[in-house]
Amino acid sequence: MGRDRILIVEDEPNIVESLRFILERAQFDVEVSSSGNDGLDRLRRQSFAAVILDIMLPGINGLEVLKHIRDDHKIGSMPVLVLTAKGQARDREAAEGLGADAFVTKPFSNAELVERVREIAGR
Amino acid sequence: MPQALTGLKIKALRKARGLTQHELARRAGISASYVNLIEANKRPVTMALLDRIAVALDGDRAELDGESERRRLHNLNEIASDPAIANGRADPAGAEELIGRQPEWAEIILNLYRAYRDRNEAVLALADRLNRDPFLGESIHSVLTRVTSIRSAAEILIDNDSLGAPDRQRFLSIISDDSGRLSDTARELVAFFGNTHTRVRSATPMENVDAFISDADNHFPTLENVAETFLRSFGEGAGAAQEASRIVAEGGAAAAEPTPKGRFALMRKAAEELASDAVQAIVAEHPSLGSDVARELAANALYSYVAGAILMPYEAFARAALDLRCDLDQLMELFGVSYEQAAHRLATLRRPGAEGVHFAYMRSDPSGYVTKRLPLPGLHLPRYGTACPLWAIYGAFQTPGVTVRHFGALPSGDEFLFFARAVDKSPATIGRPRHLQSILLACPASEAFRVVYGDGIDRAQATIPVGTVCRLCSRETCRHRQEKPLLV
Repeated sequence: MGRDRILIVEDEPNIVESLRFILERAQFDVEVSSSGNDGLDRLRRQSFAAVILDIMLPGINGLEVLKHIRDDHKIGSMPVLVLTAKGQARDREAAEGLGADAFVTKPFSNAELVERVREIAGR
Repeated sequence: MPQALTGLKIKALRKARGLTQHELARRAGISASYVNLIEANKRPVTMALLDRIAVALDGDRAELDGESERRRLHNLNEIASDPAIANGRADPAGAEELIGRQPEWAEIILNLYRAYRDRNEAVLALADRLNRDPFLGESIHSVLTRVTSIRSAAEILIDNDSLGAPDRQRFLSIISDDSGRLSDTARELVAFFGNTHTRVRSATPMENVDAFISDADNHFPTLENVAETFLRSFGEGAGAAQEASRIVAEGGAAAAEPTPKGRFALMRKAAEELASDAVQAIVAEHPSLGSDVARELAANALYSYVAGAILMPYEAFARAALDLRCDLDQLMELFGVSYEQAAHRLATLRRPGAEGVHFAYMRSDPSGYVTKRLPLPGLHLPRYGTACPLWAIYGAFQTPGVTVRHFGALPSGDEFLFFARAVDKSPATIGRPRHLQSILLACPASEAFRVVYGDGIDRAQATIPVGTVCRLCSRETCRHRQEKPLLV
């Protein structure tokens, strides 16, 4: 059985570096998109076990990306973990309303993040 | 109307004049027992009767009906109806008693409330700034991003003993890089909070100026004298305009545009030279004007008053207003002034012996923000909120340039003629929002026969039940009510 593939949609390269490292250590394959539109394109072209989606993205933001995912019948059931900022309760509520599967609050602990990804990816 | 105060004042003035209740009754054409009831505050006094009593006591109606006390009373009642301050159980009679017996304490409560509102506004402004300032929003995002990156990289270094040298170097660089950027943001934040001078303007001085103008009944004899002396020297119309141009040119200003606005601006500038001493004298001695800001605002209002008095000389304007029955379009034409200027001048015709119709004056923007107010006995104009939505001042915004008029009956039983027109503050142009403001004049219905705007309205059929402020209005079933009455 091949390794599960995770898509990270995040525009901060230093955060992406760490995310990629810890997820690869946890036996995932990792792809990265630095914008919402690119992320949606990849999701439609390749299959993924789960998506890590940042809310503050350039161009269309994470909430809009999430809405597009849920509105698209091909990828509508994709497990999505949303990265929110501490104190931004409204973002979290909005993401919950749009059907996010899990949340991790920045600044997060690596162990917690990996744990959440494992849960939603069904491992 | 604070009947308790009126009764007390009638009694005090009667005694000061050495009259018995019988004698006062005889002079005023009412019964002695009625006088007794009035003095004991057991009977209301209509404005017409108060006039007769004032004459009988050789006094002034203003002395008896206590304009400044009434203003305080209404303001106290507005405070008592503020749900953040009071529970609505305060007895309105208590406010009258407080003003009558402890006027200084009443003043202290009013000042406290003003100060409280000022601070409230300041807190809201600061909260809004903290919540919405784009710099702060960006800084917070930046701090979270850097901290997230540093934490994650640091955990990788700690959790992975066997990390190869290149990986170790990579994550150390991330930590170094992001902690540098975090320091920059921190420094910017410190500078932001250290250097921000958030000045919040107090709302109080304008209220002081309102009180000052109301106390003077919006009539300033010394300023009328300045205007009349000037007009006697240079003649009305062209002569005065020429001299005003000369005065202003000496100050280095440009010539006026031949519009009402330009002419008024010219006279306003000339007034600053002509009436400087008179204005400063009035402003310096008035107790309401406690701060430099208030004195400056009051002086500005008075210079405009002088400009109005030059362009619309008292006697000529009062005569024309009488002959034309306050027809503002004709008055504008005759004196070459704007609607607002003519309307305001009508509300200044209060010279004893040559009084015009008694008008309340109010100016509002389309959001209901009141920018000028001059109340009348029996017609309180709201201080802390919007007026009754049925007043013509709001309806006038639906048909700018057209006068909207109606008779209105207050819950007190006093009836007034209201008329208002929304006018462009500056010429309407493409690409700029229209700048409308509505000007309201209101006079006691008993004086409406002297005003064209009451013509053709059947008072018996078409008088609208109105109020002043919802919270203070007792018309519980009114369909236009927005808030429950808090004082009933």
